[in-house]
Amino acid sequence: MKIECTIDGKHLLLTVNSNKPLNLILADELETPLLTIRCRDGSCGNCVVLLNDEAVLSCLIPAFRLKGARVLTFEGYQKTRFWHDLERAYEDTGSHPCPHCYASKTLIFESLLQMIVKSESGASRDEEPDEETIVREIGLNKCPCLDAHEMLDIFKAAATYRRRRRVRRY
Amino acid sequence: MYEGIRSPAVHMPKTMSDLVSASTRFPNATFWAGGTFIMSRHDYYPTRDSNDIISLNEVPELKRINRTDRYLEIGATVSFEQLLTVGKQVLPGLLQMTLERSATKIVRKQITVGGAICTPQIRLALPGTLSALQAEVEVKSCMGPKTETRWLEINRLYDKKGAFLLKKNDLVTRIRLGFEREDFSCHIAAGDPMTNPGETVMLSFACFHNQSVVDRFRMCITFPTSMFLIPHEVDMMMHGTMLPLTTQQIERVVRSIMEEVLSSSDHEIPPIQVERSRRFIESALHELNAQSLSER
Ligand SMILES: Cc1cc2nc3c(=O)[nH]c(=O)nc-3n(C[C@H](O)[C@H](O)[C@H](O)COP(=O)(O)OP(=O)(O)OC[C@H]3O[C@@H](n4cnc5c(N)ncnc54)[C@H](O)[C@@H]3O)c2cc1C
Repeated sequence: MKIECTIDGKHLLLTVNSNKPLNLILADELETPLLTIRCRDGSCGNCVVLLNDEAVLSCLIPAFRLKGARVLTFEGYQKTRFWHDLERAYEDTGSHPCPHCYASKTLIFESLLQMIVKSESGASRDEEPDEETIVREIGLNKCPCLDAHEMLDIFKAAATYRRRRRVRRY
Repeated sequence: MYEGIRSPAVHMPKTMSDLVSASTRFPNATFWAGGTFIMSRHDYYPTRDSNDIISLNEVPELKRINRTDRYLEIGATVSFEQLLTVGKQVLPGLLQMTLERSATKIVRKQITVGGAICTPQIRLALPGTLSALQAEVEVKSCMGPKTETRWLEINRLYDKKGAFLLKKNDLVTRIRLGFEREDFSCHIAAGDPMTNPGETVMLSFACFHNQSVVDRFRMCITFPTSMFLIPHEVDMMMHGTMLPLTTQQIERVVRSIMEEVLSSSDHEIPPIQVERSRRFIESALHELNAQSLSER
């Protein structure tokens, strides 16, 4: 199957099996580093990417759903300005995910930050994430390197930077 | 591409009639909703015998949530998250609780109501909850030139062991719930049905009562790979019973349901599932009592 999509800002025409999972496409065709393929069944949570700006487990996305889609892996995300909010939050709090889950947890944090932006702008009916939601969503990645307090501290710090960014923009 | 691995054809019908005709023309194709169950099977990819795919995601009727005078109708490809955000005001509390406790937001955006009902090998939390709420499902049978559409009570989709009774070409299109609200409900679950089905127990319970007199008592106990039990006798036994229940009544209900649990399996049920079931039933009944006392 031929699929046109955009991965990390590059427009690509891929020839892949229609049911091939996105994590394998990224690993085989694009040799994306940092994306660990552990479980293949959504249970480790270590293959998160942003698909059309929403966090997804790439092992649960088949190639045929990528037609016309925008995929952002952690490498691509690091080139965006949004990354700096989390980078600074990690620095400020002195807590950060371990190297094994750094990419996935960071992208889950980003999806939670997007919820603030969307709920404040009225673009989504999603509410701002509460503490339970934050801990549960980050827990999609099963690596135990961050405890609940660290997750909440990181999120709070990153949210402050993200809000300032919005205030400055408008 | 992997050598010798076929790339399945993907059909993406845009209307219900195209969907029906695709299912008739490709009887061996797999219906694809959120894909979370299909893709989480260990033998999913690469495999030599992958069926063609019929994606359900482009059919607008399947994505709708409708409110009529009497029913809430939910399209089969409505996602858990969509149902939670759109229907919060009209959702029964038990359903909301079940959806919120399933997976995480990120995964709930992908899990569809139809997909969670139609998993072939495993029973998840949603069927038990919808059974306790006496939901009905619309099923279209797409074999041959004639398409038959019928509404079934959801518990008729499974046998006591949780086996899925629909045929491969039967398509679930809508789920229908009445507006009558349960007076008490609870959903208790332990374990992960996907990764640890042998230890998981899920209990959904809805009780309708009228001035402290039990009218309907609907409980469903689910073991993901071996049980989907609705103790109908207890429903009859409890009809007309005054709340709060006495200690003896609670013991009698627990004993009766546990006897059914233990007798409905051919093989020995793991002790952890037996113990969890007993405790969940007790705890549900005590919660019912607590609520009825607080309403006095
Ligand atoms: C990471 C993860 C966490 C999870 N956590 C939970 C949890 O906490 N609680 C829980 O209950 N479940 C959980 N699940 C399981 C999830 O609910 C199932 O995977 C469910 O089947 C998902 O629906 P889907 O739309 O993705 O189904 P799909 O994978 O698309 O389909 C499932 C099956 O149903 C068939 N099918 C789909 N739609 C229809 C239809 N309309 N008519 C007829 N057949 C149809 C398909 O052919 C397939 O056989 C989890 C899954 C994952 C991957």
